[in-house]
Amino acid sequence: MTVSLAACSFASFLRTFATFFTLLILSFTTLPATAQDAAAPADASAVESAEAATQDPAAIVQSFGGKQSYDDTEEVISRLAATGDPAVARALRALREGDLYWRESDEAVFIAARDGDNYALTDPYTGEEAGTAPRGDMSKVRVKNSIRNAVTGALGSLTLRSDNPGQRMRAANTLFDEANPDMIEPLEAAIEAEEDASIRTAMEQARAAAILQSDRPEEEKAEVTSVLAQRGDRQAQTYLNAFAASTEDDAARVAATSAVAQIQSNINFWNQAQNVWYGLSLGSVLLLAAIGLAITFGVMGVINMAHGEMVMLGAYTTFVVQELIRNHAPELFAWSLAIALPLAFLVSGLVGLGMERGLIRFLYGRPLETLLATFGVSLILQQAVRTIFGPTNREVGNPDWMSGAFEVGLMSVTWNRLWIIVFALVVFAGLLLVLNKTVLGLQMRAVTQNRQMASAMGIRTPWVDAMTFALGSGIAGIAGVALSQIDNVSPNLGQGYIIDSFMVVVFGGVGNLWGTLVGAMSLGVINKFLEPYAGAVLGKIVVLVIIILFIQKRPRGLFAQKGRFVDA
Amino acid sequence: MIFAKYLGPRVWFLVLLLVAAAILVPMASLWLPRSHPLHVPSYAVPLIGKYICYALLALSLDLVWGYLGILSLGHGAFFALGGYAMGMYLMRQIGSRGVYGDPVLPDFMVFLNWQELPWYWSGFDQFWFAALMVMVAPGLLAFVFGFFAFRSRVTGVYLSIITQAMTYALLLAFFRNDMGFGGNNGLTDFKDILGFSIQAPETRASLFAASCIALAIGVLIVGAITRSKLGNLMIAVRDAESRTRFIGWRPEYVKLFAFTVSAVMAGIAGALYVPQVGIINPGEFDPVNSIEVVVWAAVGGRGTLIGPVLGALLVNYGKTVFTSIAPQYWLFVLGGLFVFVTIFLPRGIVGTFDHGWDAWKARRASKEREMGEGAAEPAPGPAE
Amino acid sequence: MTDHFTTRREAAEQTKVLEEPQGQGDTSTAREELGGGLSAPPANRTVADEGPMAAPKSGSSADAALCDSAPPSEEPDAEATTVEEPVVSPHPYATQLRNERIAKEKRLGARRETLLYLDGVNKTFDGFKAINNLSLVVQRGEMRAIIGPNGAGKTTMMDIITGKTKPDSGDVFFAGDVDLTKYDEAAIASMGIGRKFQKPTVFEGLTIEDNLRLSMEGSRSVLETLFHRKSGKENDLVEDILEETRLGERRHAKAADLSHGQKQWLEIGMLLAQDPELLLVDEPVAGMTDAETEETARLLRKISETRSVVVVEHDMHFVRMLDVKVTCLHEGTVLSEGSLDHVSSDERVIEVYLGR
Repeated sequence: MTVSLAACSFASFLRTFATFFTLLILSFTTLPATAQDAAAPADASAVESAEAATQDPAAIVQSFGGKQSYDDTEEVISRLAATGDPAVARALRALREGDLYWRESDEAVFIAARDGDNYALTDPYTGEEAGTAPRGDMSKVRVKNSIRNAVTGALGSLTLRSDNPGQRMRAANTLFDEANPDMIEPLEAAIEAEEDASIRTAMEQARAAAILQSDRPEEEKAEVTSVLAQRGDRQAQTYLNAFAASTEDDAARVAATSAVAQIQSNINFWNQAQNVWYGLSLGSVLLLAAIGLAITFGVMGVINMAHGEMVMLGAYTTFVVQELIRNHAPELFAWSLAIALPLAFLVSGLVGLGMERGLIRFLYGRPLETLLATFGVSLILQQAVRTIFGPTNREVGNPDWMSGAFEVGLMSVTWNRLWIIVFALVVFAGLLLVLNKTVLGLQMRAVTQNRQMASAMGIRTPWVDAMTFALGSGIAGIAGVALSQIDNVSPNLGQGYIIDSFMVVVFGGVGNLWGTLVGAMSLGVINKFLEPYAGAVLGKIVVLVIIILFIQKRPRGLFAQKGRFVDA
Repeated sequence: MIFAKYLGPRVWFLVLLLVAAAILVPMASLWLPRSHPLHVPSYAVPLIGKYICYALLALSLDLVWGYLGILSLGHGAFFALGGYAMGMYLMRQIGSRGVYGDPVLPDFMVFLNWQELPWYWSGFDQFWFAALMVMVAPGLLAFVFGFFAFRSRVTGVYLSIITQAMTYALLLAFFRNDMGFGGNNGLTDFKDILGFSIQAPETRASLFAASCIALAIGVLIVGAITRSKLGNLMIAVRDAESRTRFIGWRPEYVKLFAFTVSAVMAGIAGALYVPQVGIINPGEFDPVNSIEVVVWAAVGGRGTLIGPVLGALLVNYGKTVFTSIAPQYWLFVLGGLFVFVTIFLPRGIVGTFDHGWDAWKARRASKEREMGEGAAEPAPGPAE
Repeated sequence: MTDHFTTRREAAEQTKVLEEPQGQGDTSTAREELGGGLSAPPANRTVADEGPMAAPKSGSSADAALCDSAPPSEEPDAEATTVEEPVVSPHPYATQLRNERIAKEKRLGARRETLLYLDGVNKTFDGFKAINNLSLVVQRGEMRAIIGPNGAGKTTMMDIITGKTKPDSGDVFFAGDVDLTKYDEAAIASMGIGRKFQKPTVFEGLTIEDNLRLSMEGSRSVLETLFHRKSGKENDLVEDILEETRLGERRHAKAADLSHGQKQWLEIGMLLAQDPELLLVDEPVAGMTDAETEETARLLRKISETRSVVVVEHDMHFVRMLDVKVTCLHEGTVLSEGSLDHVSSDERVIEVYLGR
């Protein structure tokens, strides 16, 4: 009976780990694919430039060169406007300012700025530096007021009338930033023609910004403040503030001030959102670091002071994997994290297994001694890593899909933080599944609740202990893979997280993974909300004090187990 | 000395040894010629003095861990607080001899463009005040911390973790420049203590003697506490805390008392330590330091009076020797020591010795009894 | 994840069932005992059964719960304010709380005959009703045996009385008007309620004598203990208790070195030193030999001459030896109350025990 149970349980362990890994790997293999989706807009812009190339704006710009009549110049301007390529704006602006020159020798066109006896040249289309030329070699492209007006009109219509909605949007946003009163009329024309509501809104906002800069009547300016208020970002606030400070019309000032206040509340909202985001991001890091601890501490009652070193081992595994890939198979680099994950799990898990078998099992029922012994192991592991890899930080690269950022409203979201949150939640869900749906999970729960009983039922409790410890350590290892993406990989990596992780477990309540989740996220958010007021260090101190006080009220954490079997 | 008979000859021997060291080592260092075989080189005096301070720290930890079962992982914080209180006094004694020559402000404050001394630095130009703060600062922290922790019945590893968090929080706090404790660099470049140059061999010898005497008094105080009824109550709390409640005791008060006394002792150890090593910086709050103290007590034998003293001296001597031979391997040794002691020597050196001695005595006694009984009545059953 | 741990209770319940064959509360034993009880002639009418069974108030739910005992009509007036001499304890009291209470009682002169009064007490753990509308009254000087299958709420009841657990609702009064739910363990212990645990818990690192000295009634100030000197009175009391518990020879031995039975006795000795008015004793004879059991019964009877005792026990043989009024708990509520014979002939008790 026991034999067959044991055999069955061994098979179940394998299945458990297999399940866990499939989940993890699935979650990560989808990453590169989605990352490509994210890169899609970039491809779209490539298509646009291809379109533009048929008309080759750069070549048209060059046709400013040579002796020309004003009519010729105007014709070139309209041709440039027709390309709809925003990049030609540089040349047009230079033309308007009188900075556009052509070289007598080859009629090549440049933007020139005086640099002593020479001109410093820039390519009018790309903006790249193009060397210098003696002043005598260069001729100015002649302009008069009618040309200047034509340029202004072109600048606006140029992109505002583009066929490509993305480009129109960008043009509207650029015009918003520039807020040039000359652009009011082109904008109005474009608004008239625009069919896309969101682009029209952007154009209206650009018009409003331009109106505030213009010398139009105060009433008209006051009217458009509400348009800017709706935009709600810092730039709009700056315009409105400037207007409120300069206007002499009371009604206009009131309108501007209220719009500023409205924007301020919007900005505040996004600031809070950004804080929450940072908090969740920190929380997910804490969750990753603490979740393995929650298993060993919560389920087994074992304090593993070397838990941080398990995380560190995971990070170093990632480093080694990336080194190997760099040297032998650079094309796999995007997959390096997915490869490092199971390896980190194995490395840390095996070290944990070794610790449990070789050390901790002799110390069950003596939690304080376990704490000391595992601390000794943590010193040894740290020094071992220091000896092998050196005491300095090792560089672990971010694959492309982990780099960069995008904007949501007024806050910026970096991909690596987003992926780590996703990853932390996947690990959490995976662990829940393991605990709830696998035989190992069942046996772990059984042993947690009643060791003798579980033993009597034929569960090999020492084996379950060892597996639990290995699982907790392995999860610390994969946490290390994630942390290698945002933190310095050094022998001290783990130490930075161990106390915070303990705080999460203590705060969340022992023996309950949901408690760990809520604990990690709330500590992360509290931390980030305190930081603006108290600074990072003081914020951390305040959090520690809060936890110490919190334990007064709930000595067993947020999600404490209740019941008469819990010994006080 | 009413409790004289309770302490046992071994403890009295230790106390006498310390008193003798307090007198003889300074003499051997100051007055014996270098060539004399018993001459103590001048560098060794503050070094041994440092060990003695560590021994006092280990003893203070033993009071709460060995006798009360509270594994504090934050005793380094009390040690460091005492050290900072002393360091502040020493900083004020520098006066205008600092690099910037400001008569009042310590160098680091001038460097940070501070205009006046923060309020909590006032009074530290007086030795008596600093000496008082050496005890009050750690004592108060321990009292407030213990009040909250013990009242809410936080015990075992939870308490250990919270004490570790406490010293970690202080570590972070003292690293901040705007705390006004010298930030990262801490307090150093001391000149005088009580008007004597801190570098002078005589001053160092006196500090050494003071450390020995403080340790001797510490041993006697811990002995007095643990041999009183309170000591019994502490052991009772250690063995069966909830049972003490059901006979009417309040373990939280016992713990609060012992924890506070222990913190004050640790603070005094820190205060004696700082002038001998010449610096105090936030690194003393590092949680790792506090755990190292635990291993000293564990090696020597917790729950005994001489164990922690012996352990602190042995481990630190070993550290000095080892780090001079192969510094990169010291952490391996220290880590191994943690593992070895918990697995193979849970009672520590002194505890293991005592246990073996007791067992041997019990065996001999039972053998004698058996023989005596055997003479009186034939062949009794084996003793149970 | 919560799900993982909700089965904790069930698992524990199962364990209890499994553990029983080793424990004293073996169901089969209980069955035999009960069977024996049923067939035995109702010779042992307890004093409590016929004597003045003062319920605190007529019509209270305590009464309802007591319906299985002697009918209310036989009881004397609950509100009777007969002036009794204060219970004379062999040992002097020093604890202030207790003196104050006794003084107050004298002043009020009310309900002095009722020492412990539980009415409508409820306690739920994670949806599990450990105590369900429990009502119980213990008289001054009475010894009461509480029986009941596992999970009947016996230990939780003791936890509530001694302040370890706070009830969700209900009244718990000690000596008339002291609301025990407002006090913590230490305060309740100082008032004069002593408790012996199921698993003997003594201070293993201390000698037997020191165990007794720590339990001894007196100041509980921590600073006092630092400067405490042993008094002659204390020494006498220690001698008395050592003699009574027959541990005199081993007075200087560490408690850790005692046998299981001796530990049980030491714990009883500690209770004696504490000199409580009410003793709660949880399974005192678990793991004892027959001779030790008999000796324990003798000791408890002797103790109950001067104070009230509540004994929780599985061992029916032992309960019979005690020869006192019995309360049978089931699922946190009183199932039956009266003499052992009365209780063991109760249909519902038989059903609970035999699972009919």
